[in-house]
Formats: sequence, C-alpha cells, structure tokens
Amino acid sequence: MSATGNAEYLKRWNDAGDEGLRFQNLEYIGNFKGMPGVPDGILGDRMMRERAKSGVLEKVTKEEVLKDEFTIDELNDLNNYLAWNIWDVLVMRATEGVSGMIPRQEYEILSFMQEFYRYPQFMRMMTDNLGAEGIMNIGASARKEIGTKINCVHDWCLGAVAFGMGRCGLLALEAIGPDDYVEESNIILKFMQRVLWGKRQDGYILNSQDRYRCQIHDQSIIDQVMGQTVDFEEGSEDFRRFTNFNATAELLAFFDHYDCRLGLGDTGPYPLPDGRLLIIRDLFVNEEVYHWSDVCDELPHCYTLAVIVDPDKFGLDEIRVNDISTTFTIPKNYIPGITGGAIFVRDKWDTPMGEVYPLKLTELEPHLEKIRTATVKMYDKTIRMPRRELLTNGIWSYYVDMLLPYLRKAGIWEEVNTPKYDYWEIDQRVANYYYEITKRNFVQVTVPQKIFSGEGYLPFSANADLRSSKYAWI
Amino acid sequence: MTVIAEGYNAFETPKTATGTIKYLKDPASVMGLIKSGKLAEHILLVRGGTTTFLAPALTMGAIGVITMSGAPESHLGILSREFQIPCVMTAYLTGSSSRYVVGDPGDAHFAEIVAELEGKNVTLDCSDHDLGRVVLNA
Repeated sequence: MSATGNAEYLKRWNDAGDEGLRFQNLEYIGNFKGMPGVPDGILGDRMMRERAKSGVLEKVTKEEVLKDEFTIDELNDLNNYLAWNIWDVLVMRATEGVSGMIPRQEYEILSFMQEFYRYPQFMRMMTDNLGAEGIMNIGASARKEIGTKINCVHDWCLGAVAFGMGRCGLLALEAIGPDDYVEESNIILKFMQRVLWGKRQDGYILNSQDRYRCQIHDQSIIDQVMGQTVDFEEGSEDFRRFTNFNATAELLAFFDHYDCRLGLGDTGPYPLPDGRLLIIRDLFVNEEVYHWSDVCDELPHCYTLAVIVDPDKFGLDEIRVNDISTTFTIPKNYIPGITGGAIFVRDKWDTPMGEVYPLKLTELEPHLEKIRTATVKMYDKTIRMPRRELLTNGIWSYYVDMLLPYLRKAGIWEEVNTPKYDYWEIDQRVANYYYEITKRNFVQVTVPQKIFSGEGYLPFSANADLRSSKYAWI
Repeated sequence: MTVIAEGYNAFETPKTATGTIKYLKDPASVMGLIKSGKLAEHILLVRGGTTTFLAPALTMGAIGVITMSGAPESHLGILSREFQIPCVMTAYLTGSSSRYVVGDPGDAHFAEIVAELEGKNVTLDCSDHDLGRVVLNA
C-alpha cells in the first residue's frame, strides 16, 4: 500500500483477476458453514457469486427483470448475497454501541420488521399503477438527476433492509418461519431489482457486483456538473471553505435522518479526462415530511457537491462507493486529495433539474450559518424528547423514508398518506415487539449476532411454496 | 513516548491533537462544554460511536475525539474524517487486558477507561493506517 506516489486503484478495475484490498480483518460465513470464510470487497463478491445456484447475481437482461417473480433458488441466492453485502458494509458498525442520545439500535430492528410487514402492499400498488417497466423507469430517472433520493442507499434498503434484515429480525424473534411470506419476499425483491437494474442499465443491480462503482449519471449531467467546478490547492481558502461545508452539511444530513445513512448519497467515481476522479455527493439536509425537520425549514432539500480528487496526490489504492452510498478509500483519508469541486442547491425534492443552481464558494458562509444553527436546534429539540418519542421518530425515519422517493415518483405519495392506508401507523405486532426486544436483550446481543454474522438469514427450503402468503397489517 | 491507550484510527493524518481529556457522559455535558468556551482545550472521551451525541461539538470545532466503541465506518468515523478531527475509536488501555465486547454493556470496562484517562494531558497520534494512539504528555 502506498502512502504517497502513484495511485494503483486502476488495478482494482482493470485487472480481471484482481481481488481488491481488504478493508477489514474479518470473514463471513452466513449460510455456508463448513466452507471457507468470505472476505469483504471484490474477492468477497466473486466468492459469493461462485456459490450461487442461479444466474440472478450475474448481469441479467431486461426480460429477466420483467418476469413476475423469482424462483426459490433465485430468492435464496439474493438472500445469501444481500446477507454478505450487509455484513460487508455494516459489520464494523456493530462495534458502535449505544449513542447516549437516540435509541438507534432499538428503532432500527423495529423499523426493519415494520417494513417487511407493510412495504409489499405499497410496492404492489406502485407496480399495479405503473407496470414492471414503469418501476424500472423510476430507477432510470436517477441517471438524469442530482439531489434525488432514488439512489443506491434507498434502492439497497428496499431489499437489504425490508426483506433481508426485516425477515432476519422476525426469524430471530421466532415471529415467522423460514417458509412464511414467500410471496411478499418476492414482491419486495422484484421491486428492488427493477429499480436498481433501471438505474444501473448494465445488467447488475448492486455496486459491489461492479467493483464498487456507481457510475450511473448520463454524460449530460456530468458535463453540467463539471461546467461549474473550480480547482483549488490543498490548504487554500477555497479548499477550507469546500471541505468545511462538506463536513458541516453531512453532519446535519445524518442528524436530520436520525443518525442514519439515508441523508447521504454518493455516485461515481467518474474518471475525468485529466486523470482525476469525480464523486457526486447529495447531502439531504431538510426532509420536509419529518416533523422534527422544522428546524431545517430555512434550508433546501439537498446540497449536491461535486468532489474532485486527484488519486496520485494521496496514493489511492482502492476506492469504493458502496451500496449504502458512502465512499471509502485506501488510504482512508481522501480529503488531502481533493483538488476541486462545486456545490449545487436543489430547493425541493421535485424542483426541476433546470432550476437546480450552483453556489459560489465565496457565498457559502450564510448557508453554513443556517446549517450550524439547525444542527444545534436539532440537538436541543432531540434531548428534550422522551425515549419512546425518539424511538417512534427513528422508526419513521427508516420506514417512511426508505420507500418515500418511489411513492413520490410513482405519484401516489399523497394517496397513501391518507387515513385509508394509514402509512404512518405502526403495525400492532411491531408495536408489541418493542416490549419483546427490550426484555431479552434482543437488540444488543441477538440482533448483532444474527444480522451482522449472517447466521440469521435462513434460506427458503426446497419445499417452500412461491404462493405462500400471510399478508396482513394489523 | 508513553502510549496509554490505543484503538482504531478513524483516518490517517499527520495532524495531531493535544489537550486534556474530558469525559462527556450525556448530552448536557456536551452542551456544557460548548457553553464554557473551552471546547478547543479538550480531547473528548465518549462511550458511544454515533454522531448525533457529539453533533454540536463536531460542528463547533472539537480538536480530537476518543471513543470507547465504534469504528471508522461508523458515522462518527466518517464525520471525524470529513472534519479532519483526529479520532481514536474503540480505545482500550495499553496497561489493561479489558477489551470492548459487542453486545456486552461492559460498564466496568468503560469505567476503567474513564478513570484512567480523564484529566490527562495527551496527544492523539493518528499517523498509522490502522492504529490510533493516545500519547501521554510529560
């Protein structure tokens, strides 16, 4: 690994036999007991695909994606791969412990279960309204927009969270069996596949299948973004302004989404003609559907940063835009490699792209002041809330936001946000699980053990019936 | 050089941070430190690794952070990198065999670290790719 000098990251992309670098010294077992452990990264992706029984993890055609349902083998291959992928991006998060602020681990597992129970209805509504191809077109819309929540973290959450971790949590709680809810699992995973395939358009659905690249934007968007960028030297005033804005806005974006990665959306890396790399980063600092986001009312829905890094400047050996929209590099500190950038504003989620406007770096201070003020107000508001309210807000932040962009794009958000569908209501079983998970230390011990080790993602059996359904929300 | 604690390095940097370690046990203590005007004098010691707890301190100019749980892939790891605030995560005492265990409340483990580190004047050495060091100043 080089600390300085020539970057070697292109080996990761161009050498077919390259195994990538290890970002962690752990191995994944999951449903492959007795077999060699699977590492993270490019090698891990290769091993997981070699163990698949179907072709669902290779490049698939549009016709394949338009089929109504997966086979049991395909469901199991997706289940196994998503379990590894969740481990790949989140296992070190298991070391995070309690925050002392928001009961994040508690709200997370409850929202996973809530999504598994409730999303199939809304995914089916969207598919009925738009058709399978219409769902693919929702994904494809991400290619022509910046500041959109139809992005890899939201797309990934549809399957990895609603199906993967939601089903895993319910299995661990012994609330369901491995062969229950097969039909609903199919609905969720089909919806995810269609959105992701439509977004990527290369046959894959996940960034990990493409050596952790999310190069989805049309060239016209890249050109539009690059037309506003400026170059600067490390340590210069412009460098300081840009990097400080990035950090400050990113902090609020996490906070507004209850310490959740849904506030951040990276795409790229896009190679530039001069050898540098472009990352396009959306920071969602004001989600208007959250009542606690009133402290962000003076801020736009999203700031989008064009971040240009010079790989040679910091000896870049590997770069990953992972499936939860976050960029990680080796060396870890990419900040000294930033040599240029631009910042854009999207006022509302549905502001037309033609009305997205750039900010000059000399114009950032008033925005920074509003972001800092909102951050402190958010903190002040949060510490006054009782634990149960924080928990409910946390469930909403996941459950509402992970499907919100698609409901909006499908044109049915207003319809589901009515008493007829009670979108914001918590399923009665999930409400009751609150007491279960706190009684048996389920959150602090069982959940990390089952979800992050991969042990809990039980496969569907050979006898599972694709028609098996228990759909109801109570 | 006396290294009194080590942990995951959130990001490698030649930048160091020097100050007196202050343990922040709850949000009120975070706000209290900010209002005291002495934020820049302290290395912040916290139990959890999540960002929200330290949000106002990060945005107001914290100079260095030590956590007793969490890793570079966590939000605090990411944000410390973005702010370029040296950060040692899941720190353990070099003079003790006690280590953080995922899922274990570990109150005794945390209490031992707080008792040993709080009030010490230290420098965070975060120049290594993997290991962050808490160095006692003479």
